Amino acid sequence: MSTLIEAPLADAAEIRSTIEYYNSQKWTDGLPVVPVTESYLSEFLARTSRDPDEILFTMPHLNRSLTIRLAAINAAMAGCLPEYFPVVLAAWEATAAEPYPKRGIWQSTTGTAPLLIVNGPVRERLGFNSKGNVFGSGFRANATLGRAIRLAAINVFGLHPHQLDQATQATLGKYSACIAENEEESPWEPLHVEHGFDPADSTVTAMVFRSNLHIEARHTGSPEQLGLDLANSIRRTGALLHETSSALVVLGPEHAQLFARAGWGKDDLRQFIFDNSVNSREDLVAVGKDALSQHTRWRLPSGHPDAIPDEASATDTPDLVPALKVPSSVVIMVAGANNAGVSAIIETFGRRGDTPSTVKVQDHG
Amino acid sequence: MAGREKLLDPTGFDDRATDSTLAPRPASLRGLTIGMLDNTKPNAVLLLQEIAGELQRRCGAGEAILYTKDYFGTPVKEDLLKQVVDECDVVITAVGDCGSCSAATVADGILLERLGVPAVSIVSDSFLVSGAAMAKVQGFPGFEFLAARHPVASLDEDEIRDRMQALMPEVLRVLGVES
Repeated sequence: MSTLIEAPLADAAEIRSTIEYYNSQKWTDGLPVVPVTESYLSEFLARTSRDPDEILFTMPHLNRSLTIRLAAINAAMAGCLPEYFPVVLAAWEATAAEPYPKRGIWQSTTGTAPLLIVNGPVRERLGFNSKGNVFGSGFRANATLGRAIRLAAINVFGLHPHQLDQATQATLGKYSACIAENEEESPWEPLHVEHGFDPADSTVTAMVFRSNLHIEARHTGSPEQLGLDLANSIRRTGALLHETSSALVVLGPEHAQLFARAGWGKDDLRQFIFDNSVNSREDLVAVGKDALSQHTRWRLPSGHPDAIPDEASATDTPDLVPALKVPSSVVIMVAGANNAGVSAIIETFGRRGDTPSTVKVQDHG
Repeated sequence: MAGREKLLDPTGFDDRATDSTLAPRPASLRGLTIGMLDNTKPNAVLLLQEIAGELQRRCGAGEAILYTKDYFGTPVKEDLLKQVVDECDVVITAVGDCGSCSAATVADGILLERLGVPAVSIVSDSFLVSGAAMAKVQGFPGFEFLAARHPVASLDEDEIRDRMQALMPEVLRVLGVES
């Protein structure tokens, strides 16, 4: 017998039939959702002083708006606890302030997903993982905060795959993508402090991403070698949809400390990556990305009827084509376990040369 | 314990009033001004010019004016929409060949029809479903738009002309005129 003597009794058939109801309504990302009724919703709404009908995010082109109430219902369905709700609200505000989501990126063939980064004391208080397995499963706060955004995208904005969401392949991060910064093992100031918040503030930063590249560099002690490994990955031609790209560098603590020991700050690393994320004209010709479409400014072959020269063509070094527009196209943070020379590059679609979209968590009661 | 309660709808989908009235169709295109609404995707202008040229040759349509959206992923901005409506008798818009722009191209057609201008929205046939989903959220389920065979962006001029020829019977049908 596999019965657990101490386990509570439940009507499992009724629970399953409730979950099946959500499936039949297509109110799901494919995984079971938590049933939500008015009384459970009220526990979420009690965590904010804001009006449940207040609009958090509108997509005028889809004729749809997300209210505080809808954000709460979807967060509860995603498995968030009521005490997460102020973080959910900050996540939505940061997402709404990002340039791409309101411009239809979630419908796009590119197949991006929202990425959330949590900083500050709320990480500890609610159990956001910033250490080992930071991109992996196993942590309720990370898993359900990311899912809360995606479930509402599907349910409220109608972004069902194969319908309004036309992603060619999308990314595995589309179920949920939420990480926290390992501030404790970073040699530098955390992301939110770098952008003007107090260390005692908790914040959520929102980005749009497609790829998460694994950077394996266990045997170098040289900041230049490691910096080049990062830059060579960032400039890869496959990432060049637009004229230039942008990246979030998520350094493992060991890599961050390697740079810090050599006296490099985040700005030094940013500048080094910018200077070295450069492709040769020949490399771009070889892959048919040596020119731009005149209106969308997407990269295409110079023989295409819509082709115009890229910006690098008009410089003194037309054969050197930068993959980044400005050093601040690179955002740097630290996450993961301090146990190996492993880092990641997240390829983002968003601001190039501006501060990230970061919003403070407003705790209430 | 709250006991048994109703589950909540997480969509906020109130049943919006639908408005699926098409603009009145002209008796003929002779002398009428054709608007070409370019969504900036590669080969959109070429395809629009080929179609407008054919409408002039076959139907005696008048001047063709090119308008360019500032961003393909969302519907046309209000000031440009007003200008197009003021200056044109019928509009062709293309080309919805991606997730966001296919939906936006269909939304543009619906906006024009509701302002009294017959419109032909052209997407690539990979994006029929997103176009239809957009028509639904815009309160115009069943709005008719055209599908060019995918792809469009990578074609040369001769291939674009072939796409135009394949679309012409449908363009004329949506505009309610015979050639």
